[in-house]
Amino acid sequence: MKRLLDHTTVRRVVALLLLLALWETASRLNWLDPFYAPAPSAIGKVLFSLFAEGQIWTHLEATFSAAMLGLVAGLALGIVLGFVAALMPLLAQLIEPVMILLNAIPRVILAPLFVIWLGIELASKVALALILVAVLIFFAVYSGIKEVDQRLVERVRTLGGDRRVLIREVYVPSVTAWIMGSLKVAVGFAFTGAIVGEFVASSRGLGYLLQFAQSSYNAALTIALITLIMAFVIVLFAISEWLERRLLRWRYV
Amino acid sequence: MLRVRNLSVGYGAEPVLEGIDLEVKTGEFASLIGPSGSGKTSVLRAVTRLLQPLAGSIELDLEPNDIGFLFQDDALLPWRTARQNVALGLRIRGNAVKEAENVADHWLGRLGLGVFGDRYPRQLSGGQRKRVAIAQVLALRPKLLLMDEPFASLDAIVRTRITQELLAWVEQEHMAVLLVTHDLEEAISVSDVVYVLSQGPRAGIRARHEIPIPRPRNLLETRRDPCFAPLLTTLWDDLSAASVTDDSTQ
Ligand SMILES: Nc1ncnc2c1ncn2[C@@H]1O[C@H](COP(=O)(O)OP(=O)(O)O)[C@@H](O)[C@H]1O
Ligand SMILES: [Mg+2]
Repeated sequence: MKRLLDHTTVRRVVALLLLLALWETASRLNWLDPFYAPAPSAIGKVLFSLFAEGQIWTHLEATFSAAMLGLVAGLALGIVLGFVAALMPLLAQLIEPVMILLNAIPRVILAPLFVIWLGIELASKVALALILVAVLIFFAVYSGIKEVDQRLVERVRTLGGDRRVLIREVYVPSVTAWIMGSLKVAVGFAFTGAIVGEFVASSRGLGYLLQFAQSSYNAALTIALITLIMAFVIVLFAISEWLERRLLRWRYV
Repeated sequence: MLRVRNLSVGYGAEPVLEGIDLEVKTGEFASLIGPSGSGKTSVLRAVTRLLQPLAGSIELDLEPNDIGFLFQDDALLPWRTARQNVALGLRIRGNAVKEAENVADHWLGRLGLGVFGDRYPRQLSGGQRKRVAIAQVLALRPKLLLMDEPFASLDAIVRTRITQELLAWVEQEHMAVLLVTHDLEEAISVSDVVYVLSQGPRAGIRARHEIPIPRPRNLLETRRDPCFAPLLTTLWDDLSAASVTDDSTQ
């Protein structure tokens, strides 16, 4: 037992279980008002029925597609714009101020505008996730390139490397490191974009369900949905981490 | 092989060095010594075209590809293995990956790193990284080797050993060398000719001394050569005179 407790993960799981047990007990003893803080077992039941009745799938699909499409498109756009701005100073004069402005505002305020432009279906959610991710990744790439180790650049140049070799051997790998450093935040941003987009206007998605749960004062459903979103993000974090260890093998060996 | 005439280099308009004249003949081992900040690195950067000279000329009677540059630090590409780092220069010169990596393995072996080909730079010691950097340069078979205080960061034991090995490579590959260093004893023990820089700003060549010790050299034996001690004194005097004159003008 003591050996087992030496593992961080085991300790964390034990702490979580203890907390849940405490919460459950407090609920059963009526120390907590189920209207505000329903017992974990009640939340679990709601979660189970969401899946058992099958209505959850269409919402999951909506949110998941919006977040993933936004994430991928945002990564692509951020990487392209970052490289363009870093390698073409003239265009940087145009792109940088726009990005700084977009970075300074809470970008979710663009949600209503996207709904007006793109409608209440998937497109407006993808757009919001995209803009959240793209700005983040743009700065990772842009500053990543600007802060590339100049000694490495000189080294490759004295070995006879031209611009193409420099990009392949120095810029791309060091930018990859920066992007991987931002990937987890980007995953979180993609879900924020998708769900906030659904809050604003939608006909399905976890954000839509949350909106519904809130308007009907259903705390158990609200917490169940939050738990579900957390579970998804944790899985995506694990995938990001795996990807990071693969792509940045040189850092972890 | 390399002739530098009236060279001025600097960052911005203000020159760091001015009116530098020096020459490295075929097969010759030349050193440039000067205190830190006098502009030694800047001279090498000008020779390799990393830095645009403010004035003067640099004549090279060889191709840019025939110049090898061993840098002051051992910054290798952290995301490439030792083998890939050594192969890089060969690949840039048009060799296929497989062929380049074979040559790289060969040179890693010759530098005693045969078993470390698959390691990343952060898995190597400072001395091992330095050897990889040497292999990277030697694999390109340069005719002129430029070295910027290549061993300053190494401990005395590793430093002596690697320097001695490098001397052997220089003899074997018939390379001309321009070594930049602040270490007088090192300069005397390895070179045929030593140029002394005055202190900056606007440093210049203060003196040129031939070292009449026969080659090939042995690092430890050269120090016992009868002309070693007198040369050391002379160079010291040159260097300190250089700084004193400069202090008085400031
Ligand atoms: N990239 C740079 N920009 C501006 N000044 C520089 C730069 N690199 C070196 N210098 C200045 O030029 C002078 C000579 O530097 P350097 O050639 O590195 O000297 P050394 O190699 O002899 O120590 C120093 O005073 C240093 O501050
Ligand atoms: Mg230097």
